[in-house]
Parts: sequence; C-alpha cells; structure tokens
Amino acid sequence: MRDWVRPLLGMWAIAVFLFLFAPIVAIVVFSFNSGRSLEIWDGAGLSAYASFLSNGVVHSAIRTSIYAAIGSAIIATLFGSLAGIALARRPGKWQIIFVALLALVLVTPEIVSAIALLIWDVRLGESWSFFTNGLIRLWIGHSLFSTAVVTLIIRSRMAGIDESLEEAAADLYAPPFRRFRQVTLPLMFPAVLAGLLLSFSLSLDDTIISTFVSVAGSTPWPVYVFSAVRSVLRPEIAAVSTVMFLVTLFAVGVVALVLHQSESNARDITKTLTGEYGGNSRA
Amino acid sequence: MLWILFYSFGYKPDLYHSIATDRLSLGQYKLAASSTFFQTFMGTLRISLTGTALCFLIGFPFAYWLSVRVPPSRRPIFLALILIPFWTNFLVRTIGWRILLAPSGIFAGVLHFLGLHSTALEVLDTRGAVQLGVVYNYLPLMILPLYVALDRLDPGLREASKDLGAGRVRTLFKVTIPLVSPGIIAGLLLVFIPLSGDFITATVLGGAKGNMAGRMIYDQFLVAQNWALGSAMAVVLILLIAAVVLFFGLIAIVGRHIIRYRRRVELAIAV
Repeated sequence: MRDWVRPLLGMWAIAVFLFLFAPIVAIVVFSFNSGRSLEIWDGAGLSAYASFLSNGVVHSAIRTSIYAAIGSAIIATLFGSLAGIALARRPGKWQIIFVALLALVLVTPEIVSAIALLIWDVRLGESWSFFTNGLIRLWIGHSLFSTAVVTLIIRSRMAGIDESLEEAAADLYAPPFRRFRQVTLPLMFPAVLAGLLLSFSLSLDDTIISTFVSVAGSTPWPVYVFSAVRSVLRPEIAAVSTVMFLVTLFAVGVVALVLHQSESNARDITKTLTGEYGGNSRA
Repeated sequence: MLWILFYSFGYKPDLYHSIATDRLSLGQYKLAASSTFFQTFMGTLRISLTGTALCFLIGFPFAYWLSVRVPPSRRPIFLALILIPFWTNFLVRTIGWRILLAPSGIFAGVLHFLGLHSTALEVLDTRGAVQLGVVYNYLPLMILPLYVALDRLDPGLREASKDLGAGRVRTLFKVTIPLVSPGIIAGLLLVFIPLSGDFITATVLGGAKGNMAGRMIYDQFLVAQNWALGSAMAVVLILLIAAVVLFFGLIAIVGRHIIRYRRRVELAIAV
C-alpha cells in the first residue's frame, strides 16, 4: 500500500530532468547541423563551428560579454562585500531602510530596472559622455542586481562569524587594516568567492538589462543572439552555446567539488566538536 | 525608478524624439488601458498565474523527492543537475524549445510516431508555446527554495505525525506544507515576479499571437521609441504585480486565521 508513492515520485523526478535537459540536448545536437538555418536539420557537419571561428562579429560579442562580466563582478563584489560587512557588524537605524532597498532591487521585475537604467543613462549621457560608453553602461547595469545579491551572501556569512575573533586581533594590537586583511578577509573569503562567481555568471547570462542599455559597437553575446532571433537563427549560435555549455559544466563541476569538500569538512568538524559521533546515528 | 513614473505622464512629441514632459497628463494611461493593450495585460496575468501554479505543481513533488527520497550523499549531484540548465543562457534554452517544437521537429515526430498527431505541429508562435517556455525557464527558481525549505524539515516530525495515526495525505497537508510555507511563498514570488516582466520567452516562442506585457514595454521603448507610453505600461505592470501579490497574501493570511479559528473550535469541542 505504501510503496506506490515512491516509484511515482522517482518517475516524476526523471520526467523533470528530461524536461529540463531536452532543449539543451537539442541545442547541442543541432550545433552539428550543417544547414543554413538552425531549426531545419540538413545533415551533420562541423560547418557551424568553422563559421563561428571565422566570424568577427561573434568574437567581439563574446569579448564584450566577458569584459562586462569581469567588470561588473568586480564592482558588485567590492561594494557588496563592504555593504555586507557593514550590515552584519554595525547595524544602525538605517539598517531597515537599507535592507528594504536591497529587497526592492531584488523584487523589481528586471524590465523595470532596465528601462529605469536606460532613462538614467540617456539623461546623464547628455552631460557626461562617460554614460554613453557601452561597456560602462553594462558594468553599471549588471552590477546593480548582483551587488544586492553579494551583499546578502556576505551578510549571512559575516553573521555566522563571531566578532570576538576581530576583537581578539584588536586586543593583540593589530591595526584596523591588518585586522581586516589577516582575520576578517580570510574568514569571509568563501562568501566573497561565491559572490564573485555568481555575479560573473549573472552578468554573462543577462539579456534584459543588456538589451536596453547596450549601445551599437559593444553588443554583448546575449543581445547578439536576441537580435538573431528576430531575423534568422544560424547554427553558429548553437555552436557557441555548446562551447559555453561545456565551459559552464566544467565550472559548475569544479565549484561543486570544492563546495562539497569544504562542506563535508565543515560538517565533520562540527560533528567532532559537538560530540555527535557515536551518539545520534541518524543525523 | 521615479523617472519612469514622471515619464509616464509625458508624451511623444514627434517622430524623432522619444519623450517630452512639458505637458503632463494621464493620456498615456488611457492608451495603456485601451482594449488591445488591456488584453495583453490580462493575457500576461493569465500566463504568469498559470505558469507559477504549474511550476509549483511540477516543482513540489520534485523537491520533495530530492529532499526526502534521495540519500544526502547523492543530493549535491542532483542539485548540480538542476543548476546546469539554470546556468545555461536563458535565451539559448528558449531557442532550444524552438528546435524541439518546430512544425516538423522532434516533438512532431514523436507525436506522429505515437499516432497522436498527424499534421504539422502548430504549437510554435502561440500562447501555448509561451506558457510552456515560461514554466520551463522558471522551474529551477521554484525548485531551489522548496528544496531548501524541505531539506531543513526534521524527518522526525513526519514520523511523529505518522505515529500519531495521521495518513499520508493528512501528514502532507497538516505537517509538511504548513512547515515549509516560507519556502513555498519564496518560490511563488521568485517565479511570479520575473515571469510577469519577462519578454524574452514571449519574443522567442510567442510570435505575433503570444504577446506579453514585457514585450509591449520593450516595443514601446526600443522599437516605437515612445517612452511615455512604455513608462505608463511599466507602471501598470508594477501595480498589477503588486496587486496580485497583495491579493494572494491577504487570502493566505485570512485563510490561516480561519484554519486557526476552526482548530480552536475543534479543540474546545473535544475538551
């Protein structure tokens, strides 16, 4: 009587995985399409990869994407880390307002942020040519959302670290900067790294904000693909996506491995500390 | 964001300028509420509500399976498998569906083989395709918070409920779901809000028929260059999203009070 739910749930899970991977498999398979249009199969071949290697527009789009991702990841990690430390260590009367602002940034539909950014860029661009630079626009636009994300990550990490460690360093006459570099920074480093990677990939993946703020000449990759959707989809897009997919797969694998190892270490340490070994076997 | 509000009272002065605000009026709102645009807003609402509900119905059993049936040592692998599509470019995943759903594509072939459908498949460029696309694109956003909430739940609570004689369904509705409700709310919001403003899925899969509010705003800003109307639409969209969230929030609060009240009455009678 009780066993029909278990296989049903398992089958459901398999169906969900099939659903999630079906279009990705389609993209990978169709990247070997040698026809002129992506959607119509016209024999297998590597022509898509060859034309991607020789297409300068595609190269410059990918380059713009990577520059935008590096820049906005650095901006977001820097501001997000500082804001996160401030929130965790010196909560004042402004904290509620600040957290509310962060929440507002996170729940605003992206298209609304995008048009707000466009309006600002155009208005400010009238007086400062700084804001008409495509790459700078992308940096600002992408780091907006990811700064909020990084802030929350850093805050939760810092909230879990006892401030007495920093106080101990201060008692031992470490000046503030040295205290930050030798005590605080190593402790929050996993969160900083997670924030950096997350904001990098958020920027790389962003289509909505990029479509609105990007200017001709510095078109990031997703915007290039999006304009291709409106005209004609070539198999090169699938080829580039397949390469990017493999890179992502590799990155996720490495991150998962690192996290898995550090997590199991952390779990072992906590278990040893709390004397859980031998006692409660189920946990 | 206030500029959007300000611009929404402006107008489009001539063909070559996108915005003027020397005369402020509600004219753009009247236009945004006119029947064609109104229909799109309603269509968007239907797609986003249905999409959120479907994400929950698909995601909850999956998250339950992952957090209850899968041994903890193997969970990271499955989580990574959920994250891989999530980290793949949004746009590219959606284009993948174009390949699958093409009139003589793979799905058409499978359906033909099964004898379910014989003519060319006409799903692409309809509202149905957009619906499928948004469920696909936002499903990981539903699964992750649900998984986190279910994972934190002590399995002992479910066992206790069983030991006290509650059946499977009763345990699910009286123990599991109330305890993971913060995760459920997070998941619903995480899916509903971005889904309502999405214009990529609608553009890639919707063609002319599957229009959505996000795409209307996109068209006004970047194609028609009428920023006043686009801003007015954005304001309407935000208000619509806020109204839906408030509405369901109120229902949830009232519902919880009613349940509590009934439970108190039951207890009183039992005593």
